[in-house]
Amino acid sequence: MSKNTLVDVKNLSVHFPVHGGVFSKRVATVKAVDGISFSIDKKQIVGMVGESGCGKTTVGRAMINILKYISPEVEVGGSIEYHFDDGIVDFAKLKASEMRKYRSRVQMIFQDPYASLNPRMTVAQIISEPLQLHTKMNAKEQRDRVGWLLDKVGLQPEQARRFPHEFSGGQRQRIGIARALATNPDLIICDEPVSALDVSIQAQVINLMMDIQDEFDVSYLFIAHDLSVVEHISDKIAVMYLGDMAEYGDAQDVYHHPRHPYSKALLSAVPLPDPSRKNRKRIVLKGDVPTPLNKPSGCAFRTRCPIAQPSCAESKPEFKEHAKDHFVACPIVEKKALNL
Amino acid sequence: MPEQQEISLSILKKRWLKFKTLRRGYYSFILLIILYGLSWFLPLLINNRALVVKYNDEIYFPVISGYHAGSFFGQDVPGETIYRELKATWKAEDSDNWLIMPPYPYSPYEDITVQGNKMYEAPSKTHWLGTDNTGRDVFSRLCYAFNISISFALVLSTLNYILGVLIGGSMGYLGGKFDLIFQRIIEIWSSLPMLFVIIIISSIIRPSFFLLIFIYTIVNWIGMTYLMRAEFYREKSKDYVAAALSMGQSNFKVMFKHILPNSLVPIITYFPFSIVGGISALVGLDYLGFGMPPPTPSWGQMLDVGLQNISKYWMVMAPVGAQFITLIMVVFIGEAVREAFDPKVYSRLR
Ligand SMILES: Nc1ncnc2c1ncn2[C@@H]1O[C@H](COP(=O)(O)OP(=O)(O)OP(=O)(O)O)[C@@H](O)[C@H]1O
Ligand code: SF4
Ligand SMILES: [Mg+2]
Repeated sequence: MSKNTLVDVKNLSVHFPVHGGVFSKRVATVKAVDGISFSIDKKQIVGMVGESGCGKTTVGRAMINILKYISPEVEVGGSIEYHFDDGIVDFAKLKASEMRKYRSRVQMIFQDPYASLNPRMTVAQIISEPLQLHTKMNAKEQRDRVGWLLDKVGLQPEQARRFPHEFSGGQRQRIGIARALATNPDLIICDEPVSALDVSIQAQVINLMMDIQDEFDVSYLFIAHDLSVVEHISDKIAVMYLGDMAEYGDAQDVYHHPRHPYSKALLSAVPLPDPSRKNRKRIVLKGDVPTPLNKPSGCAFRTRCPIAQPSCAESKPEFKEHAKDHFVACPIVEKKALNL
Repeated sequence: MPEQQEISLSILKKRWLKFKTLRRGYYSFILLIILYGLSWFLPLLINNRALVVKYNDEIYFPVISGYHAGSFFGQDVPGETIYRELKATWKAEDSDNWLIMPPYPYSPYEDITVQGNKMYEAPSKTHWLGTDNTGRDVFSRLCYAFNISISFALVLSTLNYILGVLIGGSMGYLGGKFDLIFQRIIEIWSSLPMLFVIIIISSIIRPSFFLLIFIYTIVNWIGMTYLMRAEFYREKSKDYVAAALSMGQSNFKVMFKHILPNSLVPIITYFPFSIVGGISALVGLDYLGFGMPPPTPSWGQMLDVGLQNISKYWMVMAPVGAQFITLIMVVFIGEAVREAFDPKVYSRLR
């Protein structure tokens, strides 16, 4: 762990109990996140990719510590250690009362721009809410700050009096960005901020987010389900599969030399403008993603893995450093690499 | 950009504007509000006590000060002054004393024990809707009963709403054990035969306005609670709630500042029908004789004696008509509210 680390996630797991029957006994567990580790440095962008339902949003929600409000019975394990300027705190262990003062440091931009803004509040009310909670600004200062933030995200300060339904999806996402920026956070978790937008608008919003990252010196955890979106903006990439981390490492390294069979398959699905890579063969995965309710034993990917061995069913593969700063959870590719 | 004068309207304001265009409901709403507002001034409008009396150079306000014996104003009657007659007498005598009566000078409580009142009088200029089996003025009773009915329904619905939002909202929002325990309580509660419970309670204790409200609230809170539970549960999973939580907003604020305003649609659209339910409930209980204690004016009680004297058509028509008109106005309002909150643009009613 370098001195520059902002957050260090160790062995994070999020389990949702499932109840059934007359007495609501616990009948099963959704292992939405099942022991993942990664870290984000200051001013760094970490991309996180994986198919729908693999637990990306859940990781994000765990990192802002709101899971137990949404599902009171959730079980969160591991640690989420933030290294703020004024001390180290573990969000996985903080009590609600102690949590409050750190809430301004980590913010989130949400997947669905239509559900993430309260339809009954004006833009000004939406953006000034974090200011009311975390600063001592008076009404005038808040108004100025809202106008300034709107300007930063490419909207007009006059639009502050409007309601969310008067904006397009891209504009709403900009409002969401302004809200996340309001308290000058150290980390913003961007949960697929562009996947609900038109392709033509996606690039604009991503460019805006990059400019903001530069200007505000903030770190991003940038979640996407598509590697091509995160590749050129991320410093590091984490690939998730069914609540597990398959691969984690330097963005260029993971993108150009993927090691885990799942990352390889994901990458082969990316349409590439680069002719030198035209000849790569497309790996089509068979079958559907199993549910996190009933995960396969051993390596969760083995039901779809093209190189699966009988041994893969036995134990969960260790997350090992195959090259410098490049972690992979697959003993089979490790052996292959050594044998070569 | 100075010309940019488009006004941004909240969704609720837009709906209110839409509601205003739905004539039938909007006018019913205005009319009902005016009538209910006026009904609080009934003692000044429909009463047998004079508003102002000037007697021997002194001014009296019997409406406010209450009982004055007949002898007090020099009238030779047993018991309270009969101001209507006093007025006629003074006028005939051309005396210096004078008094002002309310526009409709009959009280809902004065029966044949008051000199000059007769039973079963048919509608006339003096008794607009006749008198009943004890000589009480039907129109006067009808109006006072209107106030009681609407007040009953309003207080009942409001209480149900408060309980529903608090309990149902907490069930939906907090979930977990709290939700589970209340669900079981509600299941047990709703399997009790409530009509019998009410009848038993009111045959033991003499019912009053607030006791009836209390009993009915105990029975009725479940419907609104389930509605609010579902609303809060659905809204809770939306990301604007996650956003509010992530900035450290308290549960209380999230529930009442964020979720409640987004759960207003069922609350508002259901309200007129809840009023209809409240009015009908009181009529039913009064009709069965388990409602307001006599001689409180009430439509149910009037209906009951009316049916016993069915040949005196005014005694039946009056309470039936009053209920019919009131309920249909509330239903018009409900219909227009529903229409105004309908996200679809086209309109079937107009
Ligand atoms: N509150 C909850 N209770 C029970 N299960 C949940 C809850 N939240 C998420 N899950 C389950 O956890 C798994 C991961 O969900 P999550 O929303 O994190 O996926 P995701 O990677 O963000 O997917 P998407 O790309 O569709 O957004 C899913 O199977 C989901 O059903
Ligand atoms: S551990 Fe086995 S199943 Fe899992 S990715 Fe490696 S080879 Fe495939
Ligand atoms: Mg998601």
